[in-house]
Amino acid sequence: MTRFLDVQNVTAGYGSVTVLRGISLHVDKGENVGLFGPNGHGKTTLMRVLSGLMRASEGTCWFNGQDISRTRTPQIVERGLVQSQQGNTLFGDMGVAETLEMAAFSKSARRKAEANLHYVYTLFPRLAERKTQLAKTLSGGERQMLSIGAALMCAPRLLMLDEPTLGLSPRLKEELAQALKEISMNVPLIVVEQDVELLLSLSDRLYLIEHGEVTREIGEENTPDQREIMHMYFGEHAE
Amino acid sequence: MIETVISTLLSGIVLGALYALMASGLSMIWTTLGVFNFTHGALMMIGAFMAWTVSEAIGLGIYAGLVAGIGATALLGVIIEYMVIRPFHGRANMILITVMTTLAVMIILEKSAQMIWGPRLKQLPRLIEGDVSIFGAVISAHEALIVVLAPVILIALWVFATRTMVGRSLRAVGQNQDAAALLGINVPLTFAIAFGLGAALAGLTGVLLGGIRFVTPNLGVEPIIKAMTVVIFGGLGSLGATVGAAFVIGFAEAFLILVVGLYWTPFALFIGLILVLIFRPNGLFGRA
Amino acid sequence: MRPYILPMLAAVLLALVPLVVEDSYTRHLFIVAFVYAIIASNWDLSLGYAGLFNFGHLGFFATGVYTAAIAAKTLAITPWLAMPLGGVTAALAALLIAAPVARLRGIYVVLVTFAFAQLMLQLILSQSHITGGAGGMVGIPGLEIGEYRFIRDRKLGYYHVSLGLLVLSTIHLLFLTKSSFGRSLLALRDNEDYARARGVSIARQRVMALVLSAVFPGVAGGFFAIYLRVAAPEVLGFGTLSLALSMVLIGGSASIFGPILAAIALTFATEAMAGIRGMEEARFVVVAIGMVLVLRFAPGGMIRIMDGGGKR
Repeated sequence: MTRFLDVQNVTAGYGSVTVLRGISLHVDKGENVGLFGPNGHGKTTLMRVLSGLMRASEGTCWFNGQDISRTRTPQIVERGLVQSQQGNTLFGDMGVAETLEMAAFSKSARRKAEANLHYVYTLFPRLAERKTQLAKTLSGGERQMLSIGAALMCAPRLLMLDEPTLGLSPRLKEELAQALKEISMNVPLIVVEQDVELLLSLSDRLYLIEHGEVTREIGEENTPDQREIMHMYFGEHAE
Repeated sequence: MIETVISTLLSGIVLGALYALMASGLSMIWTTLGVFNFTHGALMMIGAFMAWTVSEAIGLGIYAGLVAGIGATALLGVIIEYMVIRPFHGRANMILITVMTTLAVMIILEKSAQMIWGPRLKQLPRLIEGDVSIFGAVISAHEALIVVLAPVILIALWVFATRTMVGRSLRAVGQNQDAAALLGINVPLTFAIAFGLGAALAGLTGVLLGGIRFVTPNLGVEPIIKAMTVVIFGGLGSLGATVGAAFVIGFAEAFLILVVGLYWTPFALFIGLILVLIFRPNGLFGRA
Repeated sequence: MRPYILPMLAAVLLALVPLVVEDSYTRHLFIVAFVYAIIASNWDLSLGYAGLFNFGHLGFFATGVYTAAIAAKTLAITPWLAMPLGGVTAALAALLIAAPVARLRGIYVVLVTFAFAQLMLQLILSQSHITGGAGGMVGIPGLEIGEYRFIRDRKLGYYHVSLGLLVLSTIHLLFLTKSSFGRSLLALRDNEDYARARGVSIARQRVMALVLSAVFPGVAGGFFAIYLRVAAPEVLGFGTLSLALSMVLIGGSASIFGPILAAIALTFATEAMAGIRGMEEARFVVVAIGMVLVLRFAPGGMIRIMDGGGKR
């Protein structure tokens, strides 16, 4: 089986603080992968490293057969590894339509811009209703939609979503979850999410990340029940 | 009486147009990079001197000089960004550091100009000769051209910023660098473009100034102070705020000269500026 | 007291310098260096310690220069009183500028303080019937006690007055920075929110920092006018600004002694360069390049390199 994304022994951190400690994980062609675990244990840092916003001090990242550990963000995006950041307001003083049009920045994205724009608007009708509205005047949920929509405009071949439903009302969350499922049928996803149930419904495999390492891998054969998940979160391993 | 009012209004428009040109490049670099570019005035001076060299010393005419002035400053802008802005990118106190580095470059440019072109006064030909009479008040055709040119350039700039891919990416980088990079925008390249463009605007302004003032190594000193006043007044937010403030100050200056005289005008303007800042710390049109 | 043994020793040595250095030109350089040292180290109180982006410090110096010049020449007040008067007006100017600065943040502080210094320049140039305009004021009365004029004995008197001012100014700064006021300034600079939560009033601290750092530059300005017997608008030029700023940066901000050492070194260095033909203007270029290089490669300044650490 070909590995679409392969992270090998990646170490990274901020200054003297090491966040990722030799983490390894992978995404195979045609599968969706979920990441979960306590806050501050390296999920967002991993995504920053994969996007080239941060450099790994050790280890390598392979995407679609190419080493991207030293590649710069624009080239990574061009190759199709795209990220929608956590709680991102994108560009406060830009309109919805303007942001989406601009987001198709790379040449490859340019060609599919019209179709993708249509796709984003059907996926998120709320955005279609607010084309000229400035991003900073949108609600939290709408911003999240805009952020995901902008990422889709980049023509992703693998889309990374960092806590897409963070801080949303149950109703909006349901709406967004629906859209995410729809997206996952077209584009492979890596999703970071605290809601493990949502994560399970979106992904084929899950990684539990703690202290900058993968401490557990969950596939279809070993799906945990509610109680087990609670234990993973609160660290009651000494049972 | 009416004539005085008309001529004051007219000189207000001329000043406003000039100030808008002086400040727009400064404002653009600030909104994109978060750098207050103290070299802006010195770049105007370099633009004027380059234009003089090509137009007068070499003798190719003022239009060739205009192109040379703009081209040279754009190139210089890119070099300045690379040498004294980029290395400090991402440092905690980048605003303060770049104030100091651009101040240093300003000194370097001024002293170099003094060594290259000497202290003798030089003058650039006007882009158009002759005078224009409006309701009995007379201004030179060159000044009239500035009044016409300023809105054209500013509108072009606005269209560039809102309608083109590069212009939009400039604004995106100014608002959120990480998010812009994640959409595939090359942030360092965008910085270079913004700085080059801002410098080119300074060069153009310098060539226009050279037609109405003597070209000396100090040509840029008064304009950078004026541009600074404009951006403090308007708030360092948007192009619109900058242009609005430029015309407010232009008219205020024209009328103050009439009321309190030439010497006390800067003082009165400064007091006005302080009052604006006390009541609106983010400028007249600025947002919190 | 231990950490101050070296500076005290340095002060004593500097007081003995005239015994060895007899030519009046070198003594003149020392005097100029002491004046710059006062400007740079006091500027450092607001820029380095308070983290206040203040670029108007030469405005306070110029206030002192012209106050003393006008007081001593136009109003015929004794130079001994005209000098400290410069400190008083400089403090008043600082109080005036502090009102908006206390409320502003970041780049706006830079712009307002910078504009203030430029306004001073324009005021000096435009009010030529009082200030002499671009030509400046000449023939300002010098210092004397009884019949003894301080210019005699190869400027010996002026040398000791300027050194005395530098020592007083340094004690003033040391006292301020070691006091609870100094600590609260650092707290404010490094963590504004925390300091605010602990009840430190930002506006009040900023006003204090600005006023207290303006006094000695004002007195030094007064001294400068009396010593040179000239008051010229060049003190507000970009050349002077870059020189003074580079002393703060190259010496090391928030360190007091760094800027003083840098002031002495740079005064002699630029003066030496001015002696070389063709370098009269180029020396400012050299200083400016030095400033950029220090910011790039030794952001803590030279004093921290000598201490062995690069970081605060």
